[in-house]
Amino acid sequence: MGTKWRLPSIDIALTVAAFLLVAMGLSIVYSATTVPGQHEGLWAKQLLWFGFALAAACLAAAIHYRLYDTFAYILYGISILLLVAVLGFGTSAMGAKRWLELGPIKFQPSELAKIATVFVLARRFDDRNLDLRRIRDWLPPLLITLVPFALVAKEPDLGTSLSFPVILVAMYFWAGMPPGHLLLGLSPVFNVALFFLTGSLLWFAAGFAVLLGAVRPKLSTLLLAVAVNGAVAYAVPHLWDQLHDYQKRRIETFLNPGQDPHGAGYQIIQSKIAIGSGGLVGKGFLRGTQKGLAFLPMRHTDFIYSVVGEELGLLGALTVVILYAVVILRGYRLALQARNGFASLMAVGLVSALFYHIIVNIMMTIGWAPVTGLPLPLLSYGGTALIVNCIQLGLLQNVAIRRQEY
Amino acid sequence: MLAALAVGGFAVITVGLLILQIQDHGYFLRLAQENRVRLEVMRAPRGAIYDRNGELLADNYPSFNIVFRPLPAESTARAKLVVDPLWVRQVSRLLEEDTTRVTELVRKANRSGQTATLRHNAPFPVLAAVEESRAEYPGLEVVIQPLRRYPHGTLASHLLGYAGEINDKELVEREQQGYQAGDLIGRTGVERTLEEFLRGRDGAEFVVVNAMGRRVSTLSEGPPQRPEPGHDIVMTVDLRVQQAMEEAMAKVSRGAAVAIDPRDGGILGMVSRPAFDPNEFSRGLSFARWKQLSSGGANPLLNRAIQGAYPPGSTFKVIVMLAALRSGVASVASRFASCFGSYHFGGRSFGCWKREGHGSLDFPGALQHSCDVYFYQIGTKLGLARLEAAALAFGLGEKTGIDLPQERRGLVPSQAYYDKRWGVNGWRKGTLLNLAIGQGELLVTPLQLALMAAEVATQGRPVRPHVVKEVRGAPDFHTPRPLQPGVAADPAVWRAVQHGMELVVESGTGTASRVQDVKVAGKTGTAQNPHGNDHALFVCYAPADDPRIALAFVIENSGHGGSVAAPMAGAVLRRLFAPDTSTTEVPPVPIPIDTSGVVRGD
Repeated sequence: MGTKWRLPSIDIALTVAAFLLVAMGLSIVYSATTVPGQHEGLWAKQLLWFGFALAAACLAAAIHYRLYDTFAYILYGISILLLVAVLGFGTSAMGAKRWLELGPIKFQPSELAKIATVFVLARRFDDRNLDLRRIRDWLPPLLITLVPFALVAKEPDLGTSLSFPVILVAMYFWAGMPPGHLLLGLSPVFNVALFFLTGSLLWFAAGFAVLLGAVRPKLSTLLLAVAVNGAVAYAVPHLWDQLHDYQKRRIETFLNPGQDPHGAGYQIIQSKIAIGSGGLVGKGFLRGTQKGLAFLPMRHTDFIYSVVGEELGLLGALTVVILYAVVILRGYRLALQARNGFASLMAVGLVSALFYHIIVNIMMTIGWAPVTGLPLPLLSYGGTALIVNCIQLGLLQNVAIRRQEY
Repeated sequence: MLAALAVGGFAVITVGLLILQIQDHGYFLRLAQENRVRLEVMRAPRGAIYDRNGELLADNYPSFNIVFRPLPAESTARAKLVVDPLWVRQVSRLLEEDTTRVTELVRKANRSGQTATLRHNAPFPVLAAVEESRAEYPGLEVVIQPLRRYPHGTLASHLLGYAGEINDKELVEREQQGYQAGDLIGRTGVERTLEEFLRGRDGAEFVVVNAMGRRVSTLSEGPPQRPEPGHDIVMTVDLRVQQAMEEAMAKVSRGAAVAIDPRDGGILGMVSRPAFDPNEFSRGLSFARWKQLSSGGANPLLNRAIQGAYPPGSTFKVIVMLAALRSGVASVASRFASCFGSYHFGGRSFGCWKREGHGSLDFPGALQHSCDVYFYQIGTKLGLARLEAAALAFGLGEKTGIDLPQERRGLVPSQAYYDKRWGVNGWRKGTLLNLAIGQGELLVTPLQLALMAAEVATQGRPVRPHVVKEVRGAPDFHTPRPLQPGVAADPAVWRAVQHGMELVVESGTGTASRVQDVKVAGKTGTAQNPHGNDHALFVCYAPADDPRIALAFVIENSGHGGSVAAPMAGAVLRRLFAPDTSTTEVPPVPIPIDTSGVVRGD
């Protein structure tokens, strides 16, 4: 017998997929920045970042997750303070304050806040006596999520801020909130969305009635849901009418920057041309034409997927999708396998945040989602994002290593 | 379930990719090969500005810019060719522009793929030359841009303000609001305060161009967005009043005048001298000219009507009288020690403006003749607190909240102010004597003076001065509420003050503002000014029995209110109420008499 050293039981498929994605990212960043005079040599910087990111990921995997459980609230508190600091004296770019500058390093506290929020929620939901139909069980997590959400939305960074509700909803579900109740809770959102889509409240009223019939909630829940939706249904059109034209315009541009044809609309068109012209096999590595002459702005950051589509074609673009699918599906599998409640919940929160980023970014590049300024995990150029994404994956490996523990 | 959702999400993306890369591949490939999609911005015109009777005060006219659009169709190699020195020399000669500037702009455009404006507001010969030789210079193009026009030139320039091209700093700050390089932005006056209503929303369309950069068709991908013009604005200003005021003040080198409707606070006219021509800003200013305008000694961009702070001089006696009567320290019939040209107090002698003295006067008589000695005595009885309270009630020392940018507060000194300045109890009662005749630390804006006259006219009804009457297409636009609660006093007190002001014009110091068949109530003022000659002031309202206009004039360094400012008010009132009875000619501003060193109330 005796103790024999062996490799920790990390999730191999997830690791391989992640490495492949980073490798593709590096080469595409290289390709996207070969236009003379602009951002040359960024790939080398990105490689350096990846070194840090890898170290951070190993650290995140090595530390026992119980420690995250213990320090969840402290981390959360720190990240909230940092978010407030950003609003106070953050660095602006394109009208939004998103970064804190520490010497040569610029970093985005919203990324840290995402992970800290996952920890706190996992800690709260890791409770046998939890009954998410009770207000004292579902309300505090909602408030916990609302704070970073509001602070990040204020920056304004709508794209990133929406990852908080996504995390919350996924973890509500995983923690055992009945789907019917979850839908009930989400109904005010559908309410507003349907109002803006159809301009009438009837569609929502019908859907809401069906939902109530299916869920048959307790009287108190029913009253609350009806009251909240009623208030929202009453308030939204009235508030909307109260606004000046220019205020409405501002909200519309905020919700959908794609309406602004000079900035985002231009990018969408150019991105679609890039991807569409790539065809089945693409124009070949380094051979993209759209990325030249600056026709595709932000091609190495938010619109890197367009370069993938242009140069590597459908085959390359689908490869990326498949690799992401592996990461996400392995992530959810780890959540299923984990025997510890905290670890399982943590995995779900982290994977859902990743999934949200991937989906919204890619949909944006193919013109199916508004341009909101989200980087594509593991592929886009950018230090903070890469490090944070790798930490997220490291935490998933953390779950993998200790999936047998209670 | 979550996994199913994830698979679903990826499936949606796959469908999207299939549509783009397989189904529509040919279409996008064609666009990419020729790379001929270009964004064309359609500039939205700013809203027009009208006076209360619908007379045009500002609108737009088309101006022509010559731009360079980088040719995306060609390779990078071609783009380099374009910055060929010969090409630049020829184009620069064509545009009558500096070669280094053209080179710089073209290089930048090639790098960023963005359109560069090589020449703003090009004159017709340049346009014609460019149109003729367009075939030789692909990428060069003429675009139309609405430019701001102020048909009356300098008239009401401080009210209207001006709109200039947005600068880089503002562009960064306002990117969220959708501002683009080349947009106009309001800098002062209503152009600035109503910027959000006046500016429209630019439109845009994606167009397909041929290899020479000519437009072939519109791209169906992004449907064109029509430009939305900004809202038109109707101001409270009355062009007739404004013109009368401008003419009355035509010879003034520095000063300001305000006309206000006492019934609702609408500004009927506002003049600040020296004035500037906002059209200059539309045409584009040279740096030297800008420096001259913004920081020259006369500072024409300063709106003295709301940003100039002056000692009110004897016009302040109106407030002192009201304060004294309403607090009961004096009555209308009160007579104090007679005026023999000066008043001794605390071991000092305080002079009256009339050295031979006024003799014994009652209260209205003291106001009528602006007797300083009478008001010295009132001041000592009244005390600082009551004086301050009355001044504040009239809205002095605070912003009136007018819808124009950068209004000044002025200053009404308080006990705390003096304690801070001279130490607790370190100041003398003599200060109070000076305050009672509107001197000392008191500072007011011409707008505040006009507001004061308006409040006497309506017996203290609160109004909020404003210049915007209506925003067309925004029915929910309202003038905000008054900031002051108004001035409280007995009707009898008000009548006495009004009567005193009527006497001033009838047979007192302000007779130069008389108008045939119309009763005018006013008050003159001559404000000492530590930096030079006295300022001439005059406030009034008319008709006294049914006030429809209140006026304030402040003429810097030009002598007596009664002989300089009052005639200007008279000229304006005669033009409005009795246009046929007399000439509107204003006597020339007399050469300032050096009066420094003499304490003067009037």
